[in-house]
Amino acid sequence: MDECKVIIMGFGSVGQGVANALSMKKDLIKDKTGVAVKVVAAADSSSSAISQEGLDEELLVKTKNEKGKLSVYPEFGSDLNGADVLDAVEYDCLIEATPTNIVDAQPALSLTLKAFEQGKDVVTSNKGHLALKFKEVVGAAEEAGVEFKYEASVGGSMPIINFTKDTLASCEIKSIKGILNGTTNYILSRMTSEGSEYEVILKESQELGIAETDPTQDVEGIDAACKTVILANSLLGIDATYSDVKVEGISNINSQAIELAKKDDYLIKLIAEVSPDNLQVSPRLVKRGSSYDVSGTLNMATIKTDLADEVSVIGLGAGSLETASAMLTDLISILKNKN
Amino acid sequence: MRINLVLELLDSPGQLVKALEPISVYGANLVTVIHKRDYKNENGKVPVQLTLEGEHEDLKKVVDRFEELGFSIIELDGVVRKEKITTIFFGHIVDQDLRDTMDRINELEGVVIVAFDIKLNGEKESTALINVEADIGKKQIVFDKIAEIAEEKKLLVINEV
Repeated sequence: MDECKVIIMGFGSVGQGVANALSMKKDLIKDKTGVAVKVVAAADSSSSAISQEGLDEELLVKTKNEKGKLSVYPEFGSDLNGADVLDAVEYDCLIEATPTNIVDAQPALSLTLKAFEQGKDVVTSNKGHLALKFKEVVGAAEEAGVEFKYEASVGGSMPIINFTKDTLASCEIKSIKGILNGTTNYILSRMTSEGSEYEVILKESQELGIAETDPTQDVEGIDAACKTVILANSLLGIDATYSDVKVEGISNINSQAIELAKKDDYLIKLIAEVSPDNLQVSPRLVKRGSSYDVSGTLNMATIKTDLADEVSVIGLGAGSLETASAMLTDLISILKNKN
Repeated sequence: MRINLVLELLDSPGQLVKALEPISVYGANLVTVIHKRDYKNENGKVPVQLTLEGEHEDLKKVVDRFEELGFSIIELDGVVRKEKITTIFFGHIVDQDLRDTMDRINELEGVVIVAFDIKLNGEKESTALINVEADIGKKQIVFDKIAEIAEEKKLLVINEV
């Protein structure tokens, strides 16, 4: 294989990050793998740009940001969207970056299954289909004999899935505990450093773009619970789905609780716990100065193993280029396996 | 020198032999062993009382090895060893019979609340931090009791990780 044609589905923050990162790293990918990556289609929720000859990544991002939709991409803009795009062009790998949907996992689920049916590899940042139907989706990839990589679905740029599978391959994984949501960590960190109330910091986080207009998925622990399910299935072999996780968010945490914890040298963090007898997301007390003491939008995870005892990873859990970095790493690993 | 200790063993075959092995390995002498398998403490483990004799260094190695093997040493030379548990409650702590909450934790054998710090917020929910000291190996019993009380009284609990 000397050329890899990719489709980017979903052109929000993550999709655009992938386009930007590809334009920056094309030469590096070619050096590392001997494969030239070409974007043959990119699609947002209502339109797309499609060209078998390849699209310009920077122009895609510029078109989307300036005009709001990809259908006005010079010459190759199209009104095709969703699964139709996968039929409109020849491709090798689907880069799936549509928004997570925790109700029915769409459109990620049908796009991913369709790509598998077409015999294509898939790299995703989506959590919905993995949290609701992990076994089904991973099983479909195996059946189709294609690669399915989802490092970006947990922890953004923080390496955890591939790291645990490959680098800790000699170890049995006993449990994983960590901070898997950057928004809540940011809110709790600021409540701790400033002594302010939850509502005040939430509002400021929304103004800064760190929390979404509807912050439910983050602050009620739903996002972290999805990631808990993904880690449970992929790294501990636990056949679990979203409803198996006990979830408690941070909206009840007030400055008094944080102050009391502080007096005893503790911090309050939203901790996801993944172990065979406990799948849980809840506010927990962590010792100041321990490996859980990371602030701002950072994510962290401590992986408890049989041979290596505890290993911890830290990294930025969200962000356009940060999440794209994990997706490109997945793409490079697929390309290396092919050649 | 001589030391007395109480170990906790799982109630499964081979545990006692496994526990006695480090004693000979490190050259200590076993003076007494009292093992009553039909007595179990509240976490379902069997306490074994040992008296060992030997050089200070060797005895220390034996004790360290016990801990490495995962045996809880609940008593050393007559002193019951403790572990600390910190937790935060949030909710209508006072209205939901604070005294009953504290009594139910204190009633657990080998468990005692050593500090209680509460922030009141008028008629709204209050927040309390509780420090508990428990005999080694009792941590889970305390967590279970706290979870039971919290569920019943609709309190939010923030436990240690």
